[in-house]
Amino acid sequence: MLEQLQNSAFSTWVTGSDSLLAYPTILTLHTVGLGIVVGAALLLDLRLLGVGAEIPLKDMRTLFRFFWVGFVINLISGLVLFAAEATDKAKQPVFFVKLALIAAAVVITVRIRRVAFGGSTASPGPASSTARVLAGVSLTLWAGAIVAGRLMAYLK
Amino acid sequence: MNDFVPWLAATWLSRSMRSITWLWPLCESIHFFGLALVIGGAGYFDLRLMGFMRRVPVRAAHAFMPWAIAGFAMNLVTGALFVIMAPEMYFGSIAFMAKLFFIMVAGLNAIAFETILGTRLMALAPHDDTPSSFKVVGGVSLFAWFAVLYFGRMLPYIGNGN
Repeated sequence: MLEQLQNSAFSTWVTGSDSLLAYPTILTLHTVGLGIVVGAALLLDLRLLGVGAEIPLKDMRTLFRFFWVGFVINLISGLVLFAAEATDKAKQPVFFVKLALIAAAVVITVRIRRVAFGGSTASPGPASSTARVLAGVSLTLWAGAIVAGRLMAYLK
Repeated sequence: MNDFVPWLAATWLSRSMRSITWLWPLCESIHFFGLALVIGGAGYFDLRLMGFMRRVPVRAAHAFMPWAIAGFAMNLVTGALFVIMAPEMYFGSIAFMAKLFFIMVAGLNAIAFETILGTRLMALAPHDDTPSSFKVVGGVSLFAWFAVLYFGRMLPYIGNGN
């Protein structure tokens, strides 16, 4: 089935076309999405760790919208990149490490939304210690996901 | 320039860094993490300058800028290492020139903002809309950083064998 996916007309266009709009642009979209997803997650984490403590937590909630927009960009571009090289990617252990790290990071981000940004207090101030631990875990998981993603190009 | 690229590639520093196989992927990982800090930290401030997220005081949104600058510093160092390790990929590359150009645009834009408009920033009340000069600065910065990302990622593909 993976082979069928990889040999589909669309997949062969993605990898085989000389057009800059094929593989290079989809890869670049994946990096744009990374910047938005991880950028938003890092800001939320940094806020919980004490940066920009003047900003009421509830007023940073907008960032979750950016987070999900970036996530969808990367889900779609990631599926296309996977389809284009399905049989190779499915054989790479580090690909599954990346997926696991992202899954864990998303779960933690959702928890952070509930634990730290769910309230309606307009007053600025420090986050709870639970929130700070979650922020540290989130930072580590996103960094790990980036490393695993990069290693996919090297650990074949 | 014709002599410079082979000279740089043949230096002891370039050769010994290339011989460490994990150094390039490590630098790339740091470069991508730094990218997220820049897009996140600078993008957040840019959006506020453009007049979005008005509940966030402009000065408070500025609190993430040191982290964006830290991300930029990480990328400046790792980027310099890429150039030393593989100069032939960068010198003469149109995409690399474009990337440097947009880094300059973003940098000069930020310096102009901090030096010329900085005092107006301090005078701004927390929930105020931003003056149009701020909106222009924010828009230019946001566009320039995404252009930097675009030309960086497209660098291996633009003008190389295409």
